[in-house]
Amino acid sequence: MSNFTIPVGPLHVALEEPMYFRLDVQGETIAHVDIHAGHVHRGIEYLVTKRNVFQNVVLTERVCSLCSNSHPQAYAMAIERIAGIVVPPRAQYLRAVADEVKRVASHLFNVAILAHLVGFDALFMHVMEVRERMQDVKESVFGNRMDIGANAIGGVRYDIDAQGIGYLNQQLDAIDAEVVEIIDLYRTNGSILGRTRGIGVLPHADAVDCGVVGPVARAAGIDYDLRVKAPYTAYDRLDVTVHTLPDGDVWSRAMIRLYEARTAIGLIRQCLRDLPDGPTIDSRERPSIPAGEAIARCEAPRGELIYYVRMGDSPKPERVKWRVPSFMNWDALRIMLKEAKIADIAIIVNSIDPCISCTER
Amino acid sequence: MRQPNEIDACLAASAPSGILYRQDTDDKGVTTAWCTLASHGDLLPVASWLKTVGARLSTITVFQPKAPPAPKVAEGETAPPPPTFFGGVPMSGHAYEVDYHFDLDGLTLTVVAHVPEGGAIASLTGLFRAADWPEREMMEIYALQVHGHPDPRRLFIDEGIEGAVLERLIPMSTLTNSATTKGLWEKILAQTETPSS
Repeated sequence: MSNFTIPVGPLHVALEEPMYFRLDVQGETIAHVDIHAGHVHRGIEYLVTKRNVFQNVVLTERVCSLCSNSHPQAYAMAIERIAGIVVPPRAQYLRAVADEVKRVASHLFNVAILAHLVGFDALFMHVMEVRERMQDVKESVFGNRMDIGANAIGGVRYDIDAQGIGYLNQQLDAIDAEVVEIIDLYRTNGSILGRTRGIGVLPHADAVDCGVVGPVARAAGIDYDLRVKAPYTAYDRLDVTVHTLPDGDVWSRAMIRLYEARTAIGLIRQCLRDLPDGPTIDSRERPSIPAGEAIARCEAPRGELIYYVRMGDSPKPERVKWRVPSFMNWDALRIMLKEAKIADIAIIVNSIDPCISCTER
Repeated sequence: MRQPNEIDACLAASAPSGILYRQDTDDKGVTTAWCTLASHGDLLPVASWLKTVGARLSTITVFQPKAPPAPKVAEGETAPPPPTFFGGVPMSGHAYEVDYHFDLDGLTLTVVAHVPEGGAIASLTGLFRAADWPEREMMEIYALQVHGHPDPRRLFIDEGIEGAVLERLIPMSTLTNSATTKGLWEKILAQTETPSS
C-alpha cells in the first residue's frame, strides 16, 4: 500500500473557515494528523486592551458569529463581578432567553451541515429551513440575525412585551414540532447512521484527557454542563436537562446537539413563563469600574467559554483572556481522525462544530 | 462531587514555599478560588495534586502587570526598592503573571505564578494534555520560555514574524503590511527575480 501526505485546507470546500490539516495516509486510512492554525488570527486580545470597558462589549460580540451572544455575556459577567453590579432579575431571564435562542440556531446549523456532508441534501435544506425560523425570531426580537446585541454591562439591551412572548411561544411550538421529527430522522435514517455510527470516535478516557467540553464531551459520556455545575444568570432557577451519550462518535455528537436544541426550546418557554417584572439593566448608565480581576464562565453552544478580565486604573482593561470551547477540540480531532478513512474527514471535522475565528481570535 | 474540602490546606501542603489563598462564593453558590504561589517552582507539585483530584485545565492567561507609579523621592534620599509580588518577584512592569485556570467540577481555581523578566516556567503538558496549545500560544505572544514543552513550535503567528508580539508596540502600518494589496504586491515583486524587459 502506498503512503501519501495530503493537504486538507487551509481553503477547502468542506471547511467553512481556514484551517490546514496535513495528513499522512496509508492507502485511504489516516496514519497521522498535523494541524497548522493561525489563518484568521486577528489579535483581538490585543485590541481589547486598546478599547474601554464599554466598547469591548461590541468588540467581543464580533469574535465569532455563531456564539456571538456568549462572548459579550461572559465578558459583561466578569466586569459586573469586578464592579459588584447586580443584574436585575428580569435581565437575568432575558440573558438566558438570548443564550438559548442562539443555541437552537447554532446546533441546528451544525446538524444541517452534517446532512449536507453525508449527501442527504433534502434533509440539509429541511433542517436549514427550520433553523431559518429561529433566524426570523432573532431578527424580530433582537433586530439582527447573527450578532443580536442582547448584552450590556449590568443587564440586557432588549425587552419582550406580552405580544413578543406570544410570538416567541408560537414560533417555538412550530420549531419544536419540527425538531422532534428531525431527531427521529437522525436516529433512524440509514444514510445518516451508515456514515456517522462508529465514525470519528473520541473514547471517554481521551475526552477527559483532552479536557474537552460541551456536546463533544457530553457525547463521550462526560456529564458536565456549566448551566448546572456553575449556574449563572437565571439557570439556578431553571430546570436544565443535561444529555449524555456513551459512544463518542459523530452520530452521538449530532444527537446531543439535537436533544439540546429541544431542551433549549423548553428553557426559553420556562423563562417566558417565569419572566419577572422590573428593570432590564442596572440603573447607572455608565457605572465606574474599579481595579480588580474576575473570571466568568458560560455554557456557549459549543461548551464552556471562560473569560478572565484584569482591570487596572485605566478605563481600558489591562488584560482580557478568553478560551473558547473549540480550542481543545482540535487536539481531540487528531484522536478522532486517527485510523479514519479519507472520505470521512469532512464529516469528522464538522462533528466538533469547528469555530476557527473563535479559536484564533 | 469532586470538589475537595479544604483546598487551601491541600494546596499549601503541595507548595513548600508558601501560598496566598482566597475564595469567594457568589449568590448562586458558585465558588471562585485564587491561589498565588510564592515560588513558580512549586507549580508542578501543585498541578500534580490537582491532577489527582480530577481537575481540568481550562486555560492559561499570561500578562505583564503594570508597574505601580514610582514614589517621589526627595533629594538626598535613596529610592525605596520597587514593590514585589507575593514571593518576591519585583513589580517591574516586565515580570510575567501566569494564571492557570482549573475547573474542579464547577469550582474555578486559578493558580497564579510570577516569573521575573527573562525567566522560564515549567510546562504542564506532562500532567495536562490541554496545556499544549495554551503554552505554545504563551511562547509566541511573550518572551516567556516554557521548559519541557514537547512541541514548542509557533501556534498562530507565522515564523516570519518576530516573537513576543504583546511586549512590543507594533505600528498599524506594519501590522497591516501584508494585508495592503499594493504593499503586498510590491513585497512579492521585490522578492521575485523578474528579468527586466
